[in-house]
Amino acid sequence: MSDLKGNNILEKMMHEAERCLFCFDAPCEKNCPINLPISNFIHMIRNKNFYGAYEKVRESHPMINIAGFICPEEILCQKECIRSKIDSPVKIRELHNFLTLNFVKNQNLSLSPYKYEDVAIVGGGPASLSCTFFLRTLGYKTHIFTEEDIGGIPFTEISNDRLQKEIVKKDIDFIKDNFIYELNIEKVKSIEGLKKDFKAIFIGIGLGDETKLEIPGIDKDGVFYARKILRDLKNGKEISLGNRIGVIGGGNVAFDVANSLKNRFKEKEVFIIYRRGLKDLKCYPEELERAKNLGVNFYFQSSPIEISGDKKVEGLKVSQVSLKESEREKRRSFELIDKSEFIIPLDNIVVAVGQEIEDGIFPEIEKEDGLIKIDENYMTNLEGVFAGGDCINGGQTVTKAASEGKIAAFKIDEFLRRSK
Amino acid sequence: MFKLRDLSINFLGLTLENPFILSASPSTDELEMVVRGLESGWAGVILKTTSVEENPVPLKYPMMSSFGNYYRRVIGLGNIDLISKHHIDEIEKRVKILKEKFPEKMIAASIMGSKKEDWQNLVFRLRKANVDLIECSFSCPQGSMGEAPGKMLAQSISATEKVTGWVKEAAENTPVLIKITPQVTDIVEVAKAVKKGGADGITASNTIPSLLGINIYTFEPYPSVFGVSSYSGLSGNAIKPITLRTIAEIKRSVDIVISGNGGAYSSRDAIEIMLVGASNVQFCTLPMVYGFRVIEELKSGLSHYLDEMNLKSPLEIVGKSLEKIKSNEELPLIEVKANIDKDKCIGCDLCFISCNDGGHMAIEIKENRIPEVNIEKCVGCALCMQVCPVDAISMKEKMDEKEVIFNRR
Ligand SMILES: Cc1cc2nc3c(=O)[nH]c(=O)nc-3n(C[C@H](O)[C@H](O)[C@H](O)COP(=O)(O)OP(=O)(O)OC[C@H]3O[C@@H](n4cnc5c(N)ncnc54)[C@H](O)[C@@H]3O)c2cc1C
Ligand SMILES: Cc1cc2nc3c(=O)[nH]c(=O)nc-3n(C[C@H](O)[C@H](O)[C@H](O)COP(=O)(O)O)c2cc1C
Ligand code: SF4
Ligand code: SF4
Ligand code: SF4
Repeated sequence: MSDLKGNNILEKMMHEAERCLFCFDAPCEKNCPINLPISNFIHMIRNKNFYGAYEKVRESHPMINIAGFICPEEILCQKECIRSKIDSPVKIRELHNFLTLNFVKNQNLSLSPYKYEDVAIVGGGPASLSCTFFLRTLGYKTHIFTEEDIGGIPFTEISNDRLQKEIVKKDIDFIKDNFIYELNIEKVKSIEGLKKDFKAIFIGIGLGDETKLEIPGIDKDGVFYARKILRDLKNGKEISLGNRIGVIGGGNVAFDVANSLKNRFKEKEVFIIYRRGLKDLKCYPEELERAKNLGVNFYFQSSPIEISGDKKVEGLKVSQVSLKESEREKRRSFELIDKSEFIIPLDNIVVAVGQEIEDGIFPEIEKEDGLIKIDENYMTNLEGVFAGGDCINGGQTVTKAASEGKIAAFKIDEFLRRSK
Repeated sequence: MFKLRDLSINFLGLTLENPFILSASPSTDELEMVVRGLESGWAGVILKTTSVEENPVPLKYPMMSSFGNYYRRVIGLGNIDLISKHHIDEIEKRVKILKEKFPEKMIAASIMGSKKEDWQNLVFRLRKANVDLIECSFSCPQGSMGEAPGKMLAQSISATEKVTGWVKEAAENTPVLIKITPQVTDIVEVAKAVKKGGADGITASNTIPSLLGINIYTFEPYPSVFGVSSYSGLSGNAIKPITLRTIAEIKRSVDIVISGNGGAYSSRDAIEIMLVGASNVQFCTLPMVYGFRVIEELKSGLSHYLDEMNLKSPLEIVGKSLEKIKSNEELPLIEVKANIDKDKCIGCDLCFISCNDGGHMAIEIKENRIPEVNIEKCVGCALCMQVCPVDAISMKEKMDEKEVIFNRR
């Protein structure tokens, strides 16, 4: 996590800004999902125009406070930073986080009066809020319909260790105060119903379900699903767990839950149990580092076979697997090794093997590979119904979801103008 | 473990172990500091300017401000200092002590006066103390001890000649340097006046009158002395290009020994200053900012340079660039094209944008961000070469079938 308070932070950041080459047509920007004007805002920092720099990032990224803490910059903007060809990438995320933590100035916000029709937004996560943000700047009235208060996963699930609620609130309050025409806290059951009142609708419902692990014993006491646990942790709910906890999975959710549990219960043992190997992990490099530092341990090449125990979890039977490089896929393919099974003694099992779109939601909308299907204009099979975020991309990053909400806003604008 | 070259030089009859001298500055205004400076390897020292004024000059603090970036904080240093806190009585004593302690080093003193008897009195007293050399400050931008208050002595040709005459008359065989200012219409006229007055050499030059900056919120100039300030003398690396020009101009027209001063931060800077005609180089801001220890780099850099150039004495380089300095009309008309080393290029495209918006729209971006020079459009202005962060650009120059490369080294 960023340490952007305390002594000499200004000096540290000025040194960092000085390292930026101010590349023309900067590749870092192209690799930021929302194309933050990076070279420009860093140039402003270098010239001590901090408020100007703040305005640049604030107007470009509706989730800029959140991104400042949890955007995986090593695999995004910084991966393409030209400065790495001299030494190491410019710390871009830290620089914009430095702005949003220290130089907030919104008093010059100037939004044009509403001039166009009403648009419905289904969902209250980063994708939906971003769509709202940009539709409002274009002059549309946005009506949000969301099952829970706005914020989405960053507000409800991402561990407090990495992202405090107050940080999320900075983004959502800014949007609530300035960009939302009407906020309805209610679950939308059918899109057809909304279509009567709105010519354009945006869907950003995210991935409501967690992928079930179908092995014998999965119903025993002591088995949990990861995002449910993360929610409870985030809300400060009591959870009672035994001493040895196994987390099944190798993605960010698995790491978030393992790290949070280990951080919260230092005396307990936490294991990540993963079918493939170290290099196949799908988590951000930073999260793997954090897991190592916290003392999370790993079982690699271990595929779950069965949960053992009477009524309650006592262990997880796994089989060793062999891995093969695959021509077609990035990750390696695996095969169980005969008679290699063994039992990992565990008191609890947390399943983190994937997320899916809520079962049965919006049957009128066409899906593909379990996700909402859109065309190149971000429109679904229903005329005037658009979608973005996790529900179309399968779960990536907050910035990616925000960027899709942004693009969809411009597509909606195009669509509404054309249909006049 | 590695031995240095012999860097010793002869300077106006004095033997210096190397050509690097601490100039009149706060670093030379305390005996203890001067001792440390000389012990650390500087060849000589010019004690901070003193005078016969009975009342000590009231110095104003804060005295300094600067500009630079976060990597090099002090590129230009401005000061509103005046002369030494110490009266000639004290300086006289120090010269004696230093001369005894460091018989091999050059112990010089700097003076400033107004009336003839003041100047000559200062000289007599320093000679009695056995000083090696006397430098006369004709150029303190803050002081008003010249002929007309508020002006620098070296800004008047006639006063320069006259006062130099007074000093030299009293100094007899003790070498005299006149420290001038670059802030004049014709530096050559000033140098001629110094020569006519009979001085042995010129120190070129002093700080340059400037205003270091303004606090944009309070409107106070820097350095803010309780809300107000005055003009500063600018020193440091920022003024090196001006020093180079000043020395070159003098040396091309007047046959006189020059002690170079102003903006040297490194052995390379010192070498450049000698190449345009200085016999040695004085330093003020560099040791003020980083300490006397910087002498290590100066000596080792010069030593390696002599190795590379296969030269015996540092004095062999003095003035070596002068014949290459021409007027614009004398420069040849040649064919020049920018050349990009694709293996070095890191694809920042800064050359593209500068040529596009500030050059001749002669750079195009090809695949993978790699720039390419459009030979038809490139006039060879060399703007792109200045902005490239990895020095991947050089200029190919051609005249009568001969080709040379101009790059940054
Ligand atoms: C544990 C975890 C850790 C993560 N860590 C990171 C990270 O470090 N960095 C990063 O960039 N990304 C991270 N992500 C991913 C990121 O949180 C998501 O990509 C992002 O939140 C997706 O935004 P969204 O708007 O598409 O969906 P969501 O954030 O899921 O928001 C969906 C919203 O829709 C509402 N909704 C759902 N159904 C309905 C309905 N029928 N009617 C009305 N409203 C409905 C929900 O209440 C919710 O408000 C993480 C995700 C998880 C689960
Ligand atoms: C704080 C300060 C005080 C100085 N005092 C004197 C002085 O008393 N007499 C003098 O001749 N030059 C004085 N100088 C000028 C320096 O000797 C030197 O000429 C000038 O700084 C340029 O050289 P540099 O760029 O190496 O610093 C002073 C410079 C500074 C920064
Ligand atoms: S939002 Fe993410 S990708 Fe974009 S600049 Fe910030 S850290 Fe980089
Ligand atoms: S690529 Fe790196 S160096 Fe270039 S503009 Fe972006 S942050 Fe700066
Ligand atoms: S400025 Fe230099 S490094 Fe950058 S694109 Fe041009 S040649 Fe390449």
